Amino acid sequence: MAALTPTVLPDVGAPAAPTGRPRRVRVWRGIVLVVAAVYFLVPLLASFVFTVNDPVQGFSLDAYGEIFSAEGFGQSLLLSLGLAAATIVTVLVLTLPAMLAVRLSAPRLRPVMEILCTLPLVVPPITFVAGISTVLRWGPDYLSTTPLYQTFIAVQNPAFPVVLVIADVVLALPFVYRALDAGLGAMDVRTLVEAARNCGASWPHVMFRVVIPNLKSGLASASFLTLALVLGEYTVARLLGFQPFSVWIVTISGANAALSVAVSIFSLLLTWLLLLVLSTAGTRQRSGS
Amino acid sequence: MNGARVEFRGLRRTFGTTVALDGLDLTVEPGELIALLGPSGCGKTTALRCVAGFESPDAGAVLVDGKDITRVPANRRDAGMVFQSYSLFPNLNARDNVTFGLRVRKVPTAKRHARAAELLELVGLPSQGERYPHQLSGGQQQRVALARALALEPQVLLLDEPLSALDAKVRVTLREEIRRLQLSLGITTIFVTHDQEEALSIADHVAVLKDGRLEQSGPPAEIYDRPATPFVAEFVGTMNHLPGRVTGDEVEVAGQRLPVHGQRPDSPDVDVLVRPETVLVTPDPEGEAVVVTSSFRGASVRLRLRLAGGTEILADLPGHDAARLAPGEHARVRLVERPVLVAPRTAAVADAVPAAG
Amino acid sequence: MAETLTTAPAGLPAEEPPKTGGSRHRAKGWTAALPLMLFVGLAFGIPAIALLGGAFTSDGSLSTANLTESLQGAYLTALLGSVKLSALVAVAGAVLGTFLAQAVVTSRFRALREAVLTASGVLANFGGVPLAFAWIATLGNSGVLTSRLNLGDHGWSLYSFWGLALVYLYFSVPLMVLVVVPALDGLRPQWREAAQNNGASAWQFWRYVGIPVLTPSLLGGVVLLFGGAFAAYATAAAMVGTVVPLVTLQIADALTGNVLIGHENVALALSFDMIVVAGLVMAVYLPLQRRSARWLR
Repeated sequence: MAALTPTVLPDVGAPAAPTGRPRRVRVWRGIVLVVAAVYFLVPLLASFVFTVNDPVQGFSLDAYGEIFSAEGFGQSLLLSLGLAAATIVTVLVLTLPAMLAVRLSAPRLRPVMEILCTLPLVVPPITFVAGISTVLRWGPDYLSTTPLYQTFIAVQNPAFPVVLVIADVVLALPFVYRALDAGLGAMDVRTLVEAARNCGASWPHVMFRVVIPNLKSGLASASFLTLALVLGEYTVARLLGFQPFSVWIVTISGANAALSVAVSIFSLLLTWLLLLVLSTAGTRQRSGS
Repeated sequence: MNGARVEFRGLRRTFGTTVALDGLDLTVEPGELIALLGPSGCGKTTALRCVAGFESPDAGAVLVDGKDITRVPANRRDAGMVFQSYSLFPNLNARDNVTFGLRVRKVPTAKRHARAAELLELVGLPSQGERYPHQLSGGQQQRVALARALALEPQVLLLDEPLSALDAKVRVTLREEIRRLQLSLGITTIFVTHDQEEALSIADHVAVLKDGRLEQSGPPAEIYDRPATPFVAEFVGTMNHLPGRVTGDEVEVAGQRLPVHGQRPDSPDVDVLVRPETVLVTPDPEGEAVVVTSSFRGASVRLRLRLAGGTEILADLPGHDAARLAPGEHARVRLVERPVLVAPRTAAVADAVPAAG
Repeated sequence: MAETLTTAPAGLPAEEPPKTGGSRHRAKGWTAALPLMLFVGLAFGIPAIALLGGAFTSDGSLSTANLTESLQGAYLTALLGSVKLSALVAVAGAVLGTFLAQAVVTSRFRALREAVLTASGVLANFGGVPLAFAWIATLGNSGVLTSRLNLGDHGWSLYSFWGLALVYLYFSVPLMVLVVVPALDGLRPQWREAAQNNGASAWQFWRYVGIPVLTPSLLGGVVLLFGGAFAAYATAAAMVGTVVPLVTLQIADALTGNVLIGHENVALALSFDMIVVAGLVMAVYLPLQRRSARWLR
């Protein structure tokens, strides 16, 4: 911590010269910003150069063209998007009613919820998948004679591995919990719901006409965080032997380095685009209300 | 502790295009409590911050006991300041907040604690030294802030709307205590506020500011009874605007002739400014004025009456006198015989009565 | 609105006795929270039990043999390597992130602030394989900068402890910015002015007020960064394979039987070690956060 002291110190130069900030503060800030810009932009620019730099032609966008024709691209991307959609729906359907209940009628459940939704942060994904793979091995080992075995086979269907949805929901819980908690905190649910109930609205009506429209930005950020998480999730999928987009990138990288970097840039841009869409949806909601 | 004389000399300060101070000249006598009063944006807080050293004027100077301190850094000035709110250090308890300045000066712990006990006693919080700011009420926090401002025995005490974030009741008690303390310590005090009642009730002098300039400075009674300008009259207390006609040194208003005080406009047709408590109302079935509304305020009642010409007028009278003046009753209205202020006739003269304040 | 009104009469009788209404309300609260609890109990609890069971079972009987083995030799090296890397990334990321956040917070340009915060939101989530590939393309053995600047001749290798730290900072610094900006915003200007008014120099303000007030948030940030670096697997796997010994790589190897068949239970024991470390670090974080929330309200 001692190292922190000099870093924050120069900023308070103000008392020595009350008129404006001293020059050294501005210089210091400029240096920090430039160093940060270099560190964060260079890898992105270099990656782009790497993908368009062809030893023979000099400049070529072939690597980007190849993405779409590469084997398994469409399939793995679709799988990732499908998993993301299923995860978002599941996690919201599970958490939203529970969090509303905690706010409205069972405040004593709050600490329990908080612990439940923080646990996945303490448990690194790799240890989680170690536990899951152990459980999945029980299938053939102990359960092959019981009807439960069929369930075990079904959740591991490579075309749509439900087990990944279950794992992703658990991993997304902390982020969704925090996003929704912030959204609910900002809108004073209790008053809103009581007012709606007082007008005679039914519970489903309250949910879909009152709570959800007012919670749009919270829901949007929860959905975005889940989406980003599922699209980037590698550990669980790789160790359980499935091939969504994030695993596919690695598989393809052995064959073509430029292609794999191009795909990485593509996935980053995709994430940015989705963030942009969701955040503008969120702000439009806020300015509209 | 002896107070110092504080002088503002031609103080100017602009922020971009807004002029916060436009040549402010003002002198605060030693040991005096002066209230800087004005609407938001009039420059009163900027003036105070120039004394504390948090702002530096574009032109002009601040003098303390004749010494120019305009360029002295804030941490070397001899002025204790109390901020509007939330200025206590959250990581320190009340005692350590109070003695923060002594700690900075490397005063030994035992001596600091003794001083803290003394100061907390002074502000009426003798047993709260161990508490942290979040465990104190708003009023208690401001008391601790006051003790902190006094800890270094400054020559000048600066109060920047210290009561505006508090409940009405706490506000009144605390302002009386501030005044009591200030008198017993004899410390020169500058008190910034936008609340005219607050300013009138505790200050020796009230300085009314408008657009970064001094509009009027004087004892509270003078400011209230003989406002130099219509702006001051309007800002301090409530005023009736009655149509009147100037002839010579007198003005004819509501059937009476009253002497004119202060400047008179070129046109003989003027607005006469009359305080509600100088309007005398007597119940009289034959009277030409009619009570429109009556609002009970405890000790007094504020009536709104319609005069014969259609003009409306506000009148304050003791609660027990108003029993017979329910809305719809007729009454006779007279103005107290004393010099009145006149202003150019405003466009809104038809609606002569200001929205009840 | 019309719909709301028509349903009103039907809704009224049910609400009439306030007592029963209240208890029905509470019952509903429990049931609405039930699915989530059941889900977490099953999806999280069963693997956890399996993990514990496996970690403490050797040759079909209860034992601590796996745990002992997981704390020896190459496994211990990997565990310590992970802790060392995470600690380095956490402290360096916290310091650099605070620098950057302070530069942004004190800036007069709102656009800069918005841009940095948005970029931080994206980059803090930019982990995993794409991040590794971006850095490989930049500073890897045949990376753009490596070949242009002939870094290879100077002994540079991205596939090392320091290389990993450099890459991990790419998502750690933005995360720190997100954590510490609200705390820096919470430092009220009155505190600095009050300190000056009491004769404190800039340094004294930071020493007695600024740094103590920020400490919970800074330590909270360090903990989050540590957790993120400690749990990271994809980036390391894509970059260094097994060149740098890390506990996540060891677990993955043991799980997939890359090294020795039948070492799954050691992997579970290693996982258990990881959870203990992460749990200890998190236990520091929660009380700290509560304190900073109280100060910076």
